[in-house]
Parts: sequence; structure tokens; C-alpha cells
Amino acid sequence: MSVRKDETASFMLRFTQKIFNNESGEPQVQWRGNIRHVQGGEEQRFSKFDDVVAFIQSKLADLTIQAMEDKPIEEQKGILSKSFDMWKKMAVEGPKMVMETIKDPKKGMAQIQDQIQDLSHQVKDEISQKLEIDTWKTASKSDFKEIMQKLTDISAEVSALNAKVDQLTQNQQ
Amino acid sequence: MIAIEDQIAELRTWRDRVSLRVQTLGNFQLWRDDEAIGSKEWGRDVSQQLFQFLVTNRHRHALHKEQIIDRIWVDGKTGQQNFKVAHHGVTKVLEPDRKSRTESQYIIRQGATYQLRFENIWIDVEALDQFVALGNQALLDDPGLAQQAYREAINLYQGVYLPNRLYEDWSSEERERIQLIALGAIISLSELLVKDNPMESIRLTQQALQIDSTWEDAYRIQMEAYFAKGNRPMAIKTYQQCQKVLDQEFGIEPLPETQQMYRKIRGV
Repeated sequence: MSVRKDETASFMLRFTQKIFNNESGEPQVQWRGNIRHVQGGEEQRFSKFDDVVAFIQSKLADLTIQAMEDKPIEEQKGILSKSFDMWKKMAVEGPKMVMETIKDPKKGMAQIQDQIQDLSHQVKDEISQKLEIDTWKTASKSDFKEIMQKLTDISAEVSALNAKVDQLTQNQQ
Repeated sequence: MIAIEDQIAELRTWRDRVSLRVQTLGNFQLWRDDEAIGSKEWGRDVSQQLFQFLVTNRHRHALHKEQIIDRIWVDGKTGQQNFKVAHHGVTKVLEPDRKSRTESQYIIRQGATYQLRFENIWIDVEALDQFVALGNQALLDDPGLAQQAYREAINLYQGVYLPNRLYEDWSSEERERIQLIALGAIISLSELLVKDNPMESIRLTQQALQIDSTWEDAYRIQMEAYFAKGNRPMAIKTYQQCQKVLDQEFGIEPLPETQQMYRKIRGV
């Protein structure tokens, strides 16, 4: 399916990195750049990432407004507020992740790995809940042994999965 | 391995060895056997669009027809029709005398995929790219040769890539890439000439600043060139201009390196 032009906003971002020593001789890094809205041609320079976010936000808001021109006012308000909510979330997390990955790609990978680990812990917790261990309180010692064995097996499998993720990360680096 | 000098010489004659030449920088123009192709011959704009898209994606492997339609045209339905018209138009413009069912010299078609056989076509942007690569290779061992290669590349940079497609998504990446390559070549050459030919170095930095008025390296080299020429007031004026532009555009001060150059010029 093709992408409709009036539903698309493209941005060209240019970063220029400047590394220098400050007056105390400590190394410093500075980012400067410009962002261009491809379809509209407007351009803005920046040295703070917040300015990039504001620029993109204003262009996306324009796009949403244009797309709703023929809709009733109430519906327009609802769509705009939803669009801003989504943007707010993205504006907080997106730039952080981009900047952190630019500064330290290894850290970026570590974050993704942490997320996988968190997910695997969640899976483990969910499995424990599904087993409803409380109802097994009256069970025999051997039953408990069996449950413990199952949980140990699952933990071992999760650890093996983590080791695989580690290996893949190392290979990528 | 072919010597860099020979590669530069070969690249210089590439233009004269082929019958199709394309200018994409500053203006779009196609020449077939030294004859400029006018818009009338291109027919509908879609033909020119398709050709320009293939030029832009010349290094990518065969592109599927659907991919091409998706990237260039808004609507899938009219896209199919556009492609048919465009493909016919391009074929007619590139090889008007080609007999039907014979293979094209310029477009490789395999099933529903298309690719430009760009080694048979001189394209300014491709030549520029190769000249800069040769200049960079020669820079350490033979700065004189690097100068020649950079000079050739800079002469080819007549302006932005495909100015008539400035608002098209598919052309942006190449426009940005080639502008940075050209800026890099201008800065490298102006740096090489700063002591022996400061006037030319100043001219080149002015060219860089026309492309991007915030390019701090250009201001710094220009200050050094004015200073080498003994024109202290202009060197100081250049610094002040740099300071003003960086403050207006980014709200930042010039780098310590530039400030140090300023202090040197002022004799502090």
C-alpha cells in the first residue's frame, strides 16, 4: 500500500559534533545542527535537542490540523488532544534514547538488554501467579519439590536465553 | 593497482567517453550526444521523475516497480499508470532509436525490477563523489594531487542536488550527503591553500559559507588566510561575523580553537 503524501512528514536532521578542551583543559563535546521539514522546506538550527522536538511537534500538529479540516470541531479537539498525548510520551523518551545511543552506543544496547531482562522477570512472575502456589499449600513435600524443580528449570531456561542475548550483543559490538 | 594520478585522469575523460551526460547539481539537464534534452522531449513530468529517482538510487540493487511507485507517487492506482507512462518516456528519451525487444544500454530490467546502468552514463554527482574519494586518498602522501582532485569536485558542485525536487522525500538523503561531501572538499582545499594562496583560500571559504553560513571551520580558515595575507582588520571582521552568526543561529560562542586564532590575530 502506498503512503499518502499529506499523511507524511519527513525530517532531515544534521548533527555536527565539536570536540574541544575547555579553559581548564577538560575535554568537552558540543552538538549543533539543523533540521529541515522536507515537504515544507522550513529549516531550523539547534544546539539543544528540545528545539528539535518543538520543531517536529509544530510540523506534526500542522499536519494533523490539515487532515481534520473537514471534521466537526469537537472531533478535531479529541483527535488533537490524543495526538498531543502520544507526542508528549514520545517527546520525553525518544530524544533521550537517541541522545544516549549517540553518546554511548554500548549503553544503548545495555538498555535494550535490561528491557529484555525485565520482561523475562515479568514472564517468570506471571508463571508463578498462574501456578497459584497458595492453593498448593496443603500439597505434599514431593509436590513442592516438583514445583521447585519446575521453577528452577524455567529459571535455567531464562538464564540460558539471557546468555544468548549477551552473546548476540557481543557479536554485534 | 591503478595510480591515483591515472584514476583522476581517467575520471576527467569519463564525460567525453559516453554519449549520455547528466547534470543534477544546481540544475537538472540531460545531454544525449551533446544535445541538451528539453522539457518538451521529456513529455510528462513523471518521466523525468522516474529517471531522477533511478539516478538517485544508482547504487542500490535492482528496485522493484512497486517500491519505485511507493516512493515517488502519492497514489498507488495512479502510480501504476504513472509508471507505465514514465518508463515509456524515459526509454524514448534515452534511446530514441532502440529497436523494440532489444536490451537497453542504460536501464537494466529483470522481471519487475529496474536499475540504472550508470557506468554508461556520466553523472556529475557520481564524478564529484569519486574525485573527492581520490582527493582524500592522496591527501597525506601527495597534497598536490589531492588539490587537483578536490578542485575538480568543487567545480562540479553547481548548487543543491536536483533543485526541482527540493520537497520530495526520496531526493533529500542524496542532497544532504552530497552537500556535506562538497563542503568537506571545499574546506580541505582551502586549508591546503591557506599559506601558499590565501586569496584562493578566502574565495573557497566564502563558497563554503554560501552553502552553510554557520560552518565554523570556514570562518577560522578565512581568518587565518586574511592574517597570512597581512589583512588583520578583515581577519577580525571575519571573527566578529562568525561570533554573530553562531549567536543568532545556535546561541553559542565560537570554539576555543577559533577564539585562540582571534587572540593570535589581535596579538594578545
